This record gives sequence, structure tokens and C-alpha cells, in this order.
Amino acid sequence: MLKATIDILRSYPQLEARCVMGNVAIARGALEAGVQGVFAYPGTPSTEISEVFKHVDAYLTDPGANPPMDGVDLRELYFEYSINEKIALEKAIAFAVASQRAMCVMKNVGMNVASDALMSIPYQTFAGALVIVLCDDPGCHSSSNEQDSRWWGTMASVPVLNPATPEEAKELTHRAFALSEAIHLPVILRSTTRVSHARGMVSYGALPGKGPAPAYDRVAEHINIPSRNTGAHQALLAKMARPEVAATLQQCTRKLADAHTPLAVICSGITVAYLMELHTASASQTGVSILEIQMVHPFPESEVLEFLRSGYEKVLVLEELDPLVENNIRLIAQKNGIALEVFGKGFSGLMPTGEYSLDLIAAALDSFSEAKIASGIPLPGYEPFCENLPPRPPALCSGCPHRATFYLLKLAMPRENRELVLCGDIGCFGLGALPPLKMIDTINHMGMSISMAQGLSTALARDRKPWKTVALVGDGTFFHSGLTSLVNAVYTRANVLVVIFDNRTIGMTGHQSHPGASRRLPKYHEIELVPLLRGIGIERVETINPFELREGLQRLNRAMQHDGVSVVVAQSPCIFLPEFKEGMPYRRRIAVDPKRCNSCGNHEDLALSCSRRQSPASNLLRARAKLIAPKAIAGERQLCPANICNHGFFFAIRDGDYRSAIEIVRDKMLFARTCGDICHRPCELFAGLSDKVPVKALKKFVSGIDENFYDFSIPIGRAEQAVKNNLRVAIVGAGPAGLSAAYDLLQAGYSVDVFERRHEPGGMVIAAIPGFRMDKQGFRFEAQQLEAMGAHFYFGKSLGSELILSEVAAQWDAVVLALGQWRPASLPVLQQLNGKAPSVDAVHFLERFNEGLETGIPDGDVLIVGGGNSAIDAARAAKKMVPSRRVVVSCLEREEEMPAFAEEIAHAHSEGVEICADSTLVRCESNARLHVFLSRYSTGEPMEDFEVGGIISAIGQQVCVEDLGGSKAAWWDGQGRLDPEMLGKSFSNVFVAGDLCSGTHRSVIGAIASGKRAANSIRRALENYPHPYEGEQMFVSLCYDSMDTNKRSLGHEHQPVVAVHEEPVLPEELTTRLESYNLFQSCMKCNHCIDHFGCPAMVMQNGKVVIDDNACTLCGLCIDVCPNDAIRWVAVETEKELTLT
Amino acid sequence: MRNGAERCKIMIAGVGGQGIVYLSNLIVEAAVASGVPVSVSEIHGLSQRSGIVTSGIGLGEHCTGFLARASIDLLFGLEALETQRCLPWLHRNSSVVFCNHRLLPHAVNAGTAEYPDPDKLASYLQSHCKEVIYIDTHKAPFKAIHLNLFCLGAAAGMDQFPLDAVAIEEALSRIVSPGNLEKSLAVFRKGLDYERKANCL
Repeated sequence: MLKATIDILRSYPQLEARCVMGNVAIARGALEAGVQGVFAYPGTPSTEISEVFKHVDAYLTDPGANPPMDGVDLRELYFEYSINEKIALEKAIAFAVASQRAMCVMKNVGMNVASDALMSIPYQTFAGALVIVLCDDPGCHSSSNEQDSRWWGTMASVPVLNPATPEEAKELTHRAFALSEAIHLPVILRSTTRVSHARGMVSYGALPGKGPAPAYDRVAEHINIPSRNTGAHQALLAKMARPEVAATLQQCTRKLADAHTPLAVICSGITVAYLMELHTASASQTGVSILEIQMVHPFPESEVLEFLRSGYEKVLVLEELDPLVENNIRLIAQKNGIALEVFGKGFSGLMPTGEYSLDLIAAALDSFSEAKIASGIPLPGYEPFCENLPPRPPALCSGCPHRATFYLLKLAMPRENRELVLCGDIGCFGLGALPPLKMIDTINHMGMSISMAQGLSTALARDRKPWKTVALVGDGTFFHSGLTSLVNAVYTRANVLVVIFDNRTIGMTGHQSHPGASRRLPKYHEIELVPLLRGIGIERVETINPFELREGLQRLNRAMQHDGVSVVVAQSPCIFLPEFKEGMPYRRRIAVDPKRCNSCGNHEDLALSCSRRQSPASNLLRARAKLIAPKAIAGERQLCPANICNHGFFFAIRDGDYRSAIEIVRDKMLFARTCGDICHRPCELFAGLSDKVPVKALKKFVSGIDENFYDFSIPIGRAEQAVKNNLRVAIVGAGPAGLSAAYDLLQAGYSVDVFERRHEPGGMVIAAIPGFRMDKQGFRFEAQQLEAMGAHFYFGKSLGSELILSEVAAQWDAVVLALGQWRPASLPVLQQLNGKAPSVDAVHFLERFNEGLETGIPDGDVLIVGGGNSAIDAARAAKKMVPSRRVVVSCLEREEEMPAFAEEIAHAHSEGVEICADSTLVRCESNARLHVFLSRYSTGEPMEDFEVGGIISAIGQQVCVEDLGGSKAAWWDGQGRLDPEMLGKSFSNVFVAGDLCSGTHRSVIGAIASGKRAANSIRRALENYPHPYEGEQMFVSLCYDSMDTNKRSLGHEHQPVVAVHEEPVLPEELTTRLESYNLFQSCMKCNHCIDHFGCPAMVMQNGKVVIDDNACTLCGLCIDVCPNDAIRWVAVETEKELTLT
Repeated sequence: MRNGAERCKIMIAGVGGQGIVYLSNLIVEAAVASGVPVSVSEIHGLSQRSGIVTSGIGLGEHCTGFLARASIDLLFGLEALETQRCLPWLHRNSSVVFCNHRLLPHAVNAGTAEYPDPDKLASYLQSHCKEVIYIDTHKAPFKAIHLNLFCLGAAAGMDQFPLDAVAIEEALSRIVSPGNLEKSLAVFRKGLDYERKANCL
């Protein structure tokens, strides 16, 4: 850049050839014309002109520079990037008023901002020179419209020059200065994208000597007052008729070819370059005469008339955009009575929209003259290769702070909220409208965002819905034209949030400074945004660093909630600024852990069903929870023994997707509602946290929605679609353990036969759990679904009588033994009663209670002996039967050590059951009345004696030993317990589940887990299934730790009450609680960073994201974005060359 | 021009950040120094933002850098998808330096579009163009940022390349900062020596 800058400042008395861009040629032309002041606002395709002066300015003001001084004293050259085009033009006018040679540079639409100045200065005067460069953008490569700036000449009555090539651009710039200085009018130099951005051969010549000295002449024309202006208009037209104008017109009308045929082409602008390339190709024969028009206003009437009078019959006019030249030619022909056929817009695809091209002009020439245009032969059959190619729209850079701000907006402003309008503006950050960010609803012309937001807000305030409008504006645009609109918003008490994307530069056009970001250039005084905003009366101003997502989100939300005008300044430097690299990590890179990226953190067998919906919105919820939820809980803290994906379950509920939530439960097990009722929730109790996700309450809620609960089609479909493996499994015992084994095996393609001693499935759940604790009908429905899934049930079949274990094991490929423990342990002290007083065991009592039969206990007070769940169930049942009776539970343990679930004990207390802990029934006497005597178990001292109507014994259950071949069989451990290992030695295909497993905690979730584990063991044994039982860890802790853990949480838990079978609306208490949790775990159905973030350094390879080190700018934001926690910093160990990936 | 042609149109296609403008600057510098008139057309604006970048270079009198259908004599395809997009500009006598380097656009990452198979394109080019130099970037013995220089070297080794390799080396020495010159020259020469027979499909 320095080399080019020095080159452009050097005077060349002998012409030197350079290949430079049209825009650079214009800058060089201005220098050769002795320009003294340049005022600009950057904008594609004009920017490189002002960039030359930016670099020149930086070089000349650098004290170490040694500028060549062959010509003008360049230190007199003034340059500025003005706040906007209007100010730029106004200052350029003032420079010209002060007898200086000024140039003002902008893009096409810039003149819309500046036109007030353009329209009035021609009525007035200046002593110097003023050239206005306007760069049009046919085809809208980077503009909001393709307006044709040549019309400004007609509008304002000022000359317009229109070059075709870089060389012409330089020449015409020179000429424009001369003309302006001569007639004291601004001269417009109009370029287009292809002229400005094409590079071509340009001759650098000599720079002039010292320019005119600055002066101010007090003349009347400097005062614009209406009474003088009619006269001023006449004076203006007179200026346009001056001989200097005529001379320039003559110079600028060039005959490029004379074919001596009746065909002529008149062309202007870039079309000249296209035409000449085709015309001069050695193999081409165009057969046309060619006239180039370089000055389009005033129109070179006499030159064109002279040309037309050469006797052409047909004229083809080539000009991009509007038919300005064409209409003038038609006018001249008509006025002068020349019979001429004019071909222009509408002929052979020549349209007033879009760009022309070599192909288009070749076709037009061909149609016009039957010319032979040289062209190559296309490759045969290439077309299919060009169909449906993936688009490659530009994206925000890797590390771009705008992406960070958009991501924050995304977290704060859900797009599902239709009453939220995001009004965007012009600039790099407009790319936020494209996928995957899609965080902009409107983009208009430059600076409109704040007006759009306040206008919409005012209009929509009359709607009943609570609309919120947000303006998004870049820092450069804010100073350009947003500031006045913001003052208007404050002044009119609008209700808008304005987010200023302050990346400390004008990024889009190549990093120019603006009033809010000019610290690096001592010539400018930087205006600080925050005091400015406060100064104009903004009540809430928040400054955020968009890379600090947590803090940023809080501040953004505060600003969102403000009623009135609030402003968020999201400040972080553009990645191309040197500041971006400050504090950049050294010798570190960012890497994605493929084990976590798009990976299931719940189960390793990906063939297992997962009903979590893959939805970008729900992953956004996960990402948001990661940042804002105050209570972050790792998924492995809240595991389920049945390996239900609590993470997916939780987020389905957060997403309001209750159907998926119950299906996520059913992915793993059958009994969603039953667990909602009676699970002792080890996933919560074992979490070791004082606060955790209330999974059980949520389960009760989702399974309580009948519409979803009673639709079992999805698991049935899974069983139907499972590939049948022709393996048969017999399940003996239809309790929750056996049924759970059946559920998993059916989905794995097994044929399942279930044998049950009783007349219906359910085992202890149906028999012994009192109806007031759970929905029995729901359980029956769930159990019945196994039939629909293909299981065959056989009732009234007992092991030991109708079924012989050895026979079953021989006839089926595998057997699940899930008999349960049905024999009550007997309480020796009751033998004192000799059956004279009413005493029953708890299971018997509860079974009778559930069926509404006579329980065998009279209506009087009741003593229950035992500290387990059955004891508490029996006590509560007894109390419910006769609320007035005294119900005492006597147990050996202290209350906090009782095996019963803490919640159940609490229920019992609240219902008036007395717990007599640390006690033992030492004696009972049955005379006329039954009298019981309790002593303290720990000390032996007598406690209490009282009369009761009956005693219920609840000291535990045992296996009916006879069912399994009697106590002498090898698999009994000598203490009345089954040894599954020994059983396995006798029968290699018999697997045990449920209470029969000696270690299993006797709970419904324990039974389910043991059934699932048995199914898993069968699959491993019979089909070499490679995966372990994935609920193992939790299942094992259930067996050994549950007692202790249960105690720890005694009485501290407040369980939310969830009403069943009502409207599916989560209780408010739960909703607010849920928002405070993040139950995080990696998930296979993620893709969040691709769906919502879209950093170009992130590339998908085989379903996993990888970071392209060549593109990564180490901003590190993706680490916070990833809801799977898969991305992290890693050390770069060696100076390894980054190779292509 | 070295190959005796009156005009030569060169196109460089790829993605922002691949050094396409740099590559065209080198060719321009070498052409100007060789006394060959040269014009260039690039569309600027968002090139640094991972969008498509193409540069057209016209060598010879009245030969612009603008592209027309079936007009490209030499194509540098620095990225496979962007090379494929250039097929309409090629003709039967075109030469192509084709890199199988893939830079996935967002639509491909997001799974809404499919990236075309570079090998299919390579064999199509091989059977329909005059000469194809195939560069397997997976085996490339240089950094990604040097891909452009390597390609230029490989092209300069072709008989029909319009400029002398020496002119390009001189251009390099004028453009590249002294600290990087040695490395850049080495990559360029590695390209010149590229045993294209072995590496062609």
C-alpha cells in the first residue's frame, strides 16, 4: 500500500504505464488536476477513490514520511471522511467557495442524501472547482437500488461526464476539474461498478504546480434568497451554454470506428469497452460505425447530429440503465427530420435493469447487423454440472462481533414471537438477515432502522397485542443518519430499543473511521457514544461486550424491558482492526470433541429409540439454558435406573412439547404414569443437590395428559417394525419387572410369552399398592399395551405347579424369572396370640383393601409392625378406612432410618398416623381385648401399652421357596435368598428380575430397571448384543445406596402438586422453577452451531463439526455457544504447519 | 505474448481468503513489466466474508478482464465448487488448473444442499478441455495460503501460458515482502516442477 501511495504521489513528466483500478485512476486524475480538498463518504463501488486519499493523508501526516515534491506541495491536500454525503458535499462546496479545487466522492445513493446541496449550489457560485464523483451500481452488487445518476445532470443543470475505462476515467476527471473551474459549476463524474472496479492500463503523467491560494470573496451569490433565484436559474442556464462547455462536449464525443455502412452504434460508459473488445477481435466482423459519448449532460447535440447526417439508416444505442442517450438521439432525429431507425431498450435483451455484458452486447450486435462475432465453443454437456449447485452467499467473518451480537439477540428475542420486529440497516451486519442468523425483519435505505422502529412502534401501539420494535444499526450508519432519527425518537417519546453494532469502524467498505471510531487517527476527534446518548436524553443505555454472552444477555434483557427509548451499544472491534488481536490466546487453538459433538450422552446403542424432536428452536433453548439458567446440573447427576433420557425429557417440556416428553419416557420404559405416581425418584434423591429438576412431578404432569397417555401407537409401531429374530422368551411373573423385560424384548424383535400366577398383570403394584397412591387404571392400560405390541399372556400359571422351571428353560430360548416375593415374614411375637386376635400381614391386608373386601382387621385402633413402605401403605389405608381410629406404626429403626420412602412417611404423618420409632412389640395379650406392649428398641425400657382392634405385620416379604424347587436347590444362599449366579450355573438361559434379585431395592423403578437389565442380558447372550445395560450405574446405586440417600432428603423436599387429567398447562410454580434449571448433557440431535451460529470456520465432517484452523480467528465464542459442551481450547504443542483440511 | 497469441483471458475462481486478488496482482505485475497490455475485472464488496471471488484477466490490446461465455483460455480453480460454477466460461481449448480443495458453504454444512463430487468434475474437465493440471490438495506439500502461488507455478510450466516464469518471479520479488520472498519463490518453483503427468487424472 505504501508503494502504491508513493507512486500515486509522484509526478511523471514522461508518461508511465500502470494497470490500476478505475477508481484509482480517478484519484490520480484528481491529483493531476491539482485537487486540494477531498470529501467523501465510503460506499461501494466508490470507496477506492477516497481510500487513495485516506492513505495519502496518512502518509503525508506521518512525520517520518518523505513525500516526493516534484509538483504541487501535497501537504496542502486536505482529506476527510465526513459524517455523511450531505456534509461531505457541503464542505466540498465551501472549499470551492474558498477558491480551492475540491472533490466530493460518494456512491449512487449517497447523492440522495446530499442532493439538497447539489440542487442549490448551481444557483449560486464558487471561485474554485468542484467535481462530484458518483459511482452507480447497475445490477446492485452492493447497493439498495440501481438508480441512474446521470439524471442529476438534468435535475440540477450541471455537466455530467461518463467514462468507459480506467484510462478514460483519469482523463475525464482531469477535464471535469478544468470545466468546473471555468464555469463555476459543479461537474459530475459518473462511473459504474465495472468502470470503477476494473483495472486497466492508465498513464501517469505530471502533477501540476502550486494550486490557487485560498480566498473568500464576499459576493451576493453566496446568499440564497428566493427573490434572486429566478434570475439565478437564468444565469445557471447561461453557464451551461458557455463555450467551455461546448468545447468539452466536442472533446468528449469520439468516433471510434467508421465502417461505411448504413449501420451505426452509439455507446456510452462501460458498453464502449465491451463493444470495442468484440469489434477489435481479429476474427470478428461487426460492420458498424461507432460513436462514443463521454459527456451526457448537456447532450452533445451538434456532434451527434453531425454523426447522424453521415447517412446511417439504423442506429443501435448501447448504455446501461435508463435510455438517456437513446431518448436524446430520438429527439435529435425527430427535431431535425432525420429518417432513422433507433434500436435501444427492449431490443435483443437490452433492458433498463441490470448490467450489460460481453455476451449481451455480442447478441445485440449480432441481431442488429448480422455481424460475425468471434466466440469460443462451449464445453459439450456442461449444463448438468451447473444445476443446483449450492449457493455461497457471503457470511459474517469468523470471529465477527456482529455474529456475537446477533447470537445474543437470538437468545433474548425468540423469533417465534411475531410481535417483535427487528428493523435492520445498511452495513456488514445486514448479513444477519440471512440464514442461519435470520435476525432482521426489515432493511431499507441507510439510517432508516431507527425511524422504521419508532414509526412501527407508534402505529402498532394501537394494536391490542404488545408489540416491541427494535432498531439494529451499525456504528457508522448511526452517525451517518441514525443520530437525528434517534433524537426524534426521544423527542416524540417513542417506545423502541436501539442496538448499535459498534465494531469501531465502517466495516463493509474496508474499515474507514467515523466520528465514533477515530481514535487511531489524531486528525479526528472521537465522539464517545455513551455520553452522547445520555446527553440526548436516553434513559437506559447499556454497553455490552457481545462476546460476554451471560452478562450481555442480562443487559440486553434489561434494555428490552425498558418502556421508552433504550439503547444497547454492543462494542467489540471488527476482526480486521489491530485491536481484535489484543489479548488473543497464544499457542492455543479451538477444537471440537467428536465424542460430544452431535453425540448422544444418554445411550451408546444408537438403534435405541429417541423421541426427542430435532428442532433448531429446542436446541436454542438448550443453548440459552446453558448461559442463563442459574442452576446447571450435569445430566449424569440425575440419572434414571431405567435410563430414561432426563435431559431430553426436561427440554421437551421446556419446549412445551409434552407429547415428545412422554414418548421420551416410553423410549425406555412402559410405565410413565405409574412412575409419575409412585416412583421414589432416585434421579432426584441421589443427585446430591439441594435443588434439582423435579423429574417425577414433570412425569406426573406429562403422563397425566390423557390424549397423549392413551395414544400408545408409537411404541406399538416400534415393536411392529422391529426385525423379528425368531427368538422366544418366557417371562414368568407379570409384575413391573417382567413386563419391563417384555417391553424391551418386543422392541428388539423377540417373541414374548408372559406367565402369571394371578388373574391379571401387575404383581405387587396392583395387589399391594393402595389405590389412593396411584392410578391403577392407567397401569392396567400400560400393561395391556404389551399385547398390542405382540406379547402373549397366560394367567393362572404358577411356577412349581403349571410350570416347571427346567421345562420352561428347555422350551424357550430364554426365561425371565420375575416371581416377586409374596410370602410374608412371620412375626414371632404374634404367635403369643395363637390366632385368637385379628392379625394379618400387610400385603394380604392391602390386597383385600384394594379389592374392597373384608380385610380381617376390625374397626378399632390398629398397630402396624414394620418400617417399610408396606407398613406405611397399610397404616395409611387403615386410617383412610376409619379416619377416627388410632393407627400406630411400630418400627425398630429411628424415624430417619426407616426403609419407607420419606415422602410416604410424611404423608402418613399428615394423615394422622402415629409413628412409634425405635420401638419393638415385646408382648401382646389377647383377652377380651387385644393389648399390645411396646418397648424402646435401643434401650429396652418400656414405652407404651394400649389396646388395639388388630395387628398388621409388615416386616418383609420372602420368596415362595417351593416355586423354585425348594430350599435345597443349589441356588439358594442358605438364608432364604436366591443366588442368581448359582441359578445361572444350573440354567444358562434363565435370568432373574424384580424383587427376586436379592440386591434389588424393592421399588417400582428398581423392578423396571432389573427387568430391563434382564432383557439386556438376554440380548447379550442370544444375539451378541454389544452394549451393556445403560442404566447399570444408577441401578447398582439403587441397590446399595438408596437407604442412606433417602434419609438425607427426609422432610426437606417440597414436591409440587400436579393435578392429573386436567388441561395440559404446566403449573406456574413448575414453569418458573424449570426456567432456572439447565439439565445439560450432550445430544445427538443438536447441530445448534450450524443452525443458529454459522461461523465460517465451522465445517461439518461426517455429522460432526470440526474447526478449520485456517479460518478460525480464535474468538472462542463457539465454546459458549455449544450446548453439548463439545468445544474447548487446546494447546498447540508444536509449530506444526496447518495443512489443508 | 510468450505463446504467440494476440489475446489471452484468464480467470481465477475461489472463495474469499484464498488469495485470488493477490494472484491476479502477480499476473498483472508480470504482464506490465513484460509490456503486455492487461486489464482485470473483480467484483469487490464482500469478498473477505467467505463469499465467491472471481477475477478475470485480459492480456492483449482491447482485451478486458470481463468474461463471456466460452471465452476463458486459462482457469485457475482454487476451490472445487467454484471451479464447477465456471464451466459456462470455458471452451474446448481452455486449460484448467484444478484444485480439489473443498470449502463447504453453509447450505452444505446445514444439510440443505449437496457438495458436488470434485472427482467427477475433474474427469469431465480432463476429457473435454485442452489441458488439465490436477492438484490434489490433500497431498499438497505446502500451507493452504500458498495454494495460489503453487497453482501459478504449475500454470506457468505449461507451454500455452502467456507470460515467462522469469517475469513472474521478478514480479514476486517486487510484490512480496523480503521476509516471505524465499518461501514464496520456493512454492512457485515447486509448482513449476509439478510433475503434472503423474498428477493428472
